[in-house]
Amino acid sequence: MKLNRRAFVGTGIAAATLSAPMVHAASHGKPKVVVVGGGAGGATAARYIAKDSAGEIDVTLIEPTRSYYTCFFSNLYLGGFWDLENLSHSYGKLASDYGINVVHDWATGVDRDAKTVSLAGGGAVPYDRLILSPGIDFVEGSVPGWDLSAQNAMPHAYKGGSQTELLKTQIMAMPEGGTYVMVAPPNPYRCPPGPYERISMVAHQLKANNPTAKIIIADPKEKFSKQGLFEEGWQKHYPGMITRIGPDFGGENVTVDPAAMTVDIDGEVVKADVVNVIPAQKAGLICDAAGLTEGNWAPVDGHTMVSRLDENIHILGDATNQGDMPKSGFSANSQAKVAAMAVRGALTGSRVFPAKFSNTCWSLIATDDGVKVGAAYEPNDEKIASVSSFVSQTGEDAALRKATYEESIGWYEGITADMFG
Amino acid sequence: MANTSGMFLSVIGGAALVLGTAYGWTSRNYRASELDVLTDRLAQLERSNADLAAKADETSALEARLSELETELAAALQAAEDAKQAAMQPVAAVADPVLQPEPDPVIADATGLEFGDPSRGEQVFAQCRSCHQIGQGAEDRIGPHLNGIFGRRAGVHDGFRYSDDMAMMGADGLTWEIETLNAYLENPKALVSRTRMNFAGLKDPQERSDILAYLRQFSASPQNIPEAAPTAQAREVELSPEVLAIVGDTDYGEYLASECKTCHQQDGSDRGIPSITHWPTEDFVVAMHAYKRQIRPHPVMQMMAARLSDEEIAALAAYFAEAE
Ligand SMILES: Cc1cc2nc3c(=O)[nH]c(=O)nc-3n(C[C@H](O)[C@H](O)[C@H](O)COP(=O)(O)OP(=O)(O)OC[C@H]3O[C@@H](n4cnc5c(N)ncnc54)[C@H](O)[C@@H]3O)c2cc1C
Repeated sequence: MKLNRRAFVGTGIAAATLSAPMVHAASHGKPKVVVVGGGAGGATAARYIAKDSAGEIDVTLIEPTRSYYTCFFSNLYLGGFWDLENLSHSYGKLASDYGINVVHDWATGVDRDAKTVSLAGGGAVPYDRLILSPGIDFVEGSVPGWDLSAQNAMPHAYKGGSQTELLKTQIMAMPEGGTYVMVAPPNPYRCPPGPYERISMVAHQLKANNPTAKIIIADPKEKFSKQGLFEEGWQKHYPGMITRIGPDFGGENVTVDPAAMTVDIDGEVVKADVVNVIPAQKAGLICDAAGLTEGNWAPVDGHTMVSRLDENIHILGDATNQGDMPKSGFSANSQAKVAAMAVRGALTGSRVFPAKFSNTCWSLIATDDGVKVGAAYEPNDEKIASVSSFVSQTGEDAALRKATYEESIGWYEGITADMFG
Repeated sequence: MANTSGMFLSVIGGAALVLGTAYGWTSRNYRASELDVLTDRLAQLERSNADLAAKADETSALEARLSELETELAAALQAAEDAKQAAMQPVAAVADPVLQPEPDPVIADATGLEFGDPSRGEQVFAQCRSCHQIGQGAEDRIGPHLNGIFGRRAGVHDGFRYSDDMAMMGADGLTWEIETLNAYLENPKALVSRTRMNFAGLKDPQERSDILAYLRQFSASPQNIPEAAPTAQAREVELSPEVLAIVGDTDYGEYLASECKTCHQQDGSDRGIPSITHWPTEDFVVAMHAYKRQIRPHPVMQMMAARLSDEEIAALAAYFAEAE
């Protein structure tokens, strides 16, 4: 079934210019899908449902920001390999080419009996199926001394956009020989190699501009993703610059003082110039508000990504507890396609095939030194289970590492086209 | 300087014409405001007359230089044409190894490009064979067949779906000759930025001139095309006729393809990751089985292929062959 783009242009433009909530209630007889969150999971799901249902389903996407700044590749921006503008993507095509009703607002709650989503701007949007892909929020108190009011002094840069920019500014302003401290998060969190790719990119930046600067990682985890590859790369490219304090040496026992710009690691107080606090994480707040979480995350059935607590709501991406898949943009995008197919099947009777998932996470360690890790997954009744996997090897030759980096750029272009059209 | 005032007139006339169309020259409702606008505009134009007079001197100097350059260009083109004619002469002889077992390199044109050794070129061509056929019975595969490539207009060979960029370059006049092929082979994307040809380029000039000599053998009149040249018939993996005969379910292919599209862009863009759109189904099926059996090296592709059944591979092939 193919989308006739031209057929959509008319409705798309009309929909995009209508002002937010009141429109939806007056909708016609078509089944309605509402998607909350226009990130890796939500944008993909909205686009696939609109594209493949060719006008048979009304799709509304609720997303507060007008430009989505990807977290993926934000580390490359810190390292000086990528421009900020390259991280930014607009929702224009989703409206104009796919007829999606893009509403820039916050979803504040879900009335699961009435099947409506309430908006911060007022009003409520009805749905037949709801898809939530709100990403992450932070667990309060997980790093004593830090809360959201401290995110300017000690940025997390773990949501895209202004935080990323702020962290870069702080890195560039470090005094000669200054100290950068990262407080790394406990499992599970978004993008398992993310903090360590970030360390590599910060080191790359400092090596060029501030070679006597120091990097300290306070880490509550025993082990981390692609550890062998990162440690080999740090030794090779940034010898002597990076110190990681794991749990054996008190890396899990950290408090911060944003006013004094100090970090207390197991009783030892470090005065720092930049403190990048990446707190423990949980499902985006809307999941909790809708009563769809157990513990910090929203449990789902991997066959369709439907919530285990509500059969009309599908949940995607970082917010979910689904099994073996890492919380990544690639995973969210992969899950979105399974959910889109299931939702279309339920609402229009289109064919539904067995779910398949996959993920690959690329990381850049230094110029042209790219590595990757990935796996394929299939759902069973209990969880989404890994069926096979691979990871780059230590000691690979330079040509392969360069090809891997170039492949990651291809992936970035591919996934953003797949999300935003 | 003689024609300067004529130039002014035509500039003002042009401006009036533009204003006329933009403001609805013939519509009564707009007359009054038009008049105001035009009066202002006229005053403006008069002010810029002084500027224009100065520019006119510069223009005539530039025009003189332009006509010099045009003459030079015409001479260079003629030289290239002559050289091409000369270069085309010995093709029949090259095609017959008995008559001329080791053809001397031929100076091909004013730029000094030479045809190298066709038999070494044949070895270099091995890396092209997974996409291009050449020789008796060659057909279009992932790429077009290359018989008669010399002198062919880019992007026009019937029945092959070229990238938009390639078609446009052809329409703009790109023709495959030694210089253009040499440039394309060195860095395909530098010449045709969004070509579907997923090839990094041959950086070694000797390899390029050898491969060009090899290709040129297949550009003579058809009866001279060497018989023995192997077409890309030998497959990377042997597949049973039943597997090759499976007709893919395109609906299923569309779902399965959504997984591919996280990396492989449907519109044919292929930075860092090859395009897989519009491949002949058989080539697609063979490639996927080659990954599945780990004959082709790439960990992601081996993993993806390993979990696909014969039917699923056929479904993907069918979908991507026709994907818009
Ligand atoms: C530094 C870093 C590097 C990374 N690198 C990679 C990488 O290389 N590869 C990779 O695959 N992944 C990477 N990731 C992970 C990736 O960014 C996330 O896993 C992915 O974005 C998750 O998608 P999502 O749809 O769950 O959430 P998001 O993409 O975060 O989207 C959530 C959206 O929902 C919106 N939202 C939230 N609440 C509401 C509400 N109540 N109402 C309306 N809208 C709401 C938000 O504004 C946001 O736009 C990286 C992450 C970081 C931090």
